[in-house]
Amino acid sequence: MSINLSVNLAGIKLKNPTILASGIMGISAASLKFCEENGAGAVTLKSIGHNERIGHNNPTVYVWENGIHNAVGLPNPGIDGSIDKMSEMLNVLSIPLIGSMFADTIDNFVMVAKKMAALNPAIIELNLSCPNTADDLGRMYASDVKMTHDVVSAVKKIVGNIPLFAKLTADVTDIVEIGKSAEAAGADGLTAINTVSGINIDIYQKRPILKNKVGGLSGPAIRPIGVRAVWNLYQAVKIPIIGTGGINTGEDAIEYIMAGASAVGIGSGVWYRGIDVFKKVTDEMKVFMEKNNYHSIEDMKGIAHV
Amino acid sequence: MFNEKPVALLIKEIIIENERVKTFVIDGEMDFKPGQFTMCWIPGFDEKPFGLVSRKKSEFMITVAAVGTSTKALHMMEVSDMLGFRGPFGSAFILPVSGSIALIAGGYGMASLFNLAKEAREKGIDVHVFLGARNKDELLYLDWMKELGAVLHLATDDGSEGYKGFNVQVFEDWVKNEGGPRGGIFTKVYTVGPEIMEMKIASICWEKSIPFEVSLERYMKCGFGICGQCCVDPVGWRMCVEGPVINGEKLKQITEFSKYHRTASGKIEKYPWNKDK
Ligand SMILES: Cc1cc2nc3c(=O)[nH]c(=O)nc-3n(C[C@H](O)[C@H](O)[C@H](O)COP(=O)(O)OP(=O)(O)OC[C@H]3O[C@@H](n4cnc5c(N)ncnc54)[C@H](O)[C@@H]3O)c2cc1C
Ligand SMILES: Cc1cc2nc3c(=O)[nH]c(=O)nc-3n(C[C@H](O)[C@H](O)[C@H](O)COP(=O)(O)O)c2cc1C
Ligand code: FES
Repeated sequence: MSINLSVNLAGIKLKNPTILASGIMGISAASLKFCEENGAGAVTLKSIGHNERIGHNNPTVYVWENGIHNAVGLPNPGIDGSIDKMSEMLNVLSIPLIGSMFADTIDNFVMVAKKMAALNPAIIELNLSCPNTADDLGRMYASDVKMTHDVVSAVKKIVGNIPLFAKLTADVTDIVEIGKSAEAAGADGLTAINTVSGINIDIYQKRPILKNKVGGLSGPAIRPIGVRAVWNLYQAVKIPIIGTGGINTGEDAIEYIMAGASAVGIGSGVWYRGIDVFKKVTDEMKVFMEKNNYHSIEDMKGIAHV
Repeated sequence: MFNEKPVALLIKEIIIENERVKTFVIDGEMDFKPGQFTMCWIPGFDEKPFGLVSRKKSEFMITVAAVGTSTKALHMMEVSDMLGFRGPFGSAFILPVSGSIALIAGGYGMASLFNLAKEAREKGIDVHVFLGARNKDELLYLDWMKELGAVLHLATDDGSEGYKGFNVQVFEDWVKNEGGPRGGIFTKVYTVGPEIMEMKIASICWEKSIPFEVSLERYMKCGFGICGQCCVDPVGWRMCVEGPVINGEKLKQITEFSKYHRTASGKIEKYPWNKDK
């Protein structure tokens, strides 16, 4: 029996559904190529903003009992300092590159998107949901229906044929309203979820571990939250969803696909399984599909909605 | 013991090595291999990578040069203050089965090499240490190295101890005098220090076909391979996982070695001596 692991994500063909999530590796062409060599179907670059940021001081990332916790604070060289880097990425990669971006104002979103679109990445992903930068970037766009609509429609106007994805957070009263608003504004897809906001305190040092105090939880702890988000969105929107959050194994990926995801994002799994997590997850999916008579990812998509 | 979350540990003793360098003896175990590092959390400031040193099982040490905000803050701390530690992280040095090895250290580099020297001596391997510093006071761990029975080759910029000049020169002369009374070839060479020094050692070893390992330091944030901050070009290896210890063959593939590194924002910064485009 032949098994087809390739997927069509908003018109972009992926050889397998595993995608490196934004903010993990993703800092240079070399780091993304390393993920490609380890089996990723597509890679996302670390979110790029309107200007250079050095991010928060350490501790910015550490592993806790049930996941990873981070408040890196979106360090990046800014869009102008990233053009050469992105061109190099597009040159050396043979898999699709997803350009992740953020900004403070809608004008800056448009400015960054214009420059990024000129390079023609496979997909542009709007990071509307970083939980660690409220102090200087303000509220997350994805926490508000209108803000989401305004930013997606403004950017959609200028990215031409490049599929536009909106990355959402589960830290809202109703993620479905936000997802529907992104779709109505012209988004070609959704990524769900970003990290979930939390605090861990070191009781001996009597202070939060992260320098930023609050940070985003990822890894196994948030998987059911992500699956629930994808589940609800799948019932409400027609555009494809990249299911992300706590995917470490092929079984985890299939859980997201059965909830309705078209492809899966993997971040923390790079720590839990190693850099070859993409290959491992893909192999494990294949084994599951062989045993259970599925021929394609499409065969499994959304089938848990009984 | 491996710490994923920072573990709060007490400073047991502080050894003042010289004006710029202090060694902090930590009350706790860290089960590391020579060449590995820890992420040390200085509460309220930052968390930074330091080479791991240990002379007995119940305690470990870090030797810190005060160079910037967080290392200066660390130098202000006192016995019984608490620091957080994660790790150990990264790749380790590999010893030959027998023979003789050379360790070439500059700056605080001896910290990452001390336990390699200790392990080598325990295995009966001859250890030659080519240690360089600005002056006599800045030569690290001299007594400890003597205790281990290492052969010391010292060099200082001002000539206050040993050869006046660079330890690289002393090493080069020694290797070139192979067969002579003040010379010899080594089974393997290890170097930790300023990248320009590491580059010179690498060139000598490549030329002479001596197997060697370097510790390649890059800006680190997570320390466990997910943030991508420490990836090197063009191979993308993470210096906190695939490194910091890299052997001479693999080093050939890291074209940014001795040319540039990345700052906290991920921007490329050329080294001052690099005159390329
Ligand atoms: C694997 C490894 C082992 C190290 N071992 C030792 C050691 O045993 N003893 C010692 O004194 N120092 C060691 N260092 C260097 C030490 O981490 C830096 O000196 C320290 O982080 C400087 O912090 P700062 O705030 O005082 O200075 P800053 O003013 O922030 O920086 C001074 C210099 O230190 C470097 N640096 C700053 N932050 C980092 C970081 N997060 N990661 C890597 N480099 C950084 C910068 O490139 C800069 O050149 C090691 C570094 C690495 C990567
Ligand atoms: C260290 C770290 C940095 C991250 N940086 C970004 C980022 O820059 N942009 C973004 O959209 N998401 C970022 N994320 C969120 C991830 O892309 C992903 O949505 C989240 O971690 C959940 O997936 P996981 O459990 O597989 O890690 C980051 C996550 C981590 C752990
Ligand atoms: S410091 Fe984060 S990957 Fe190495």
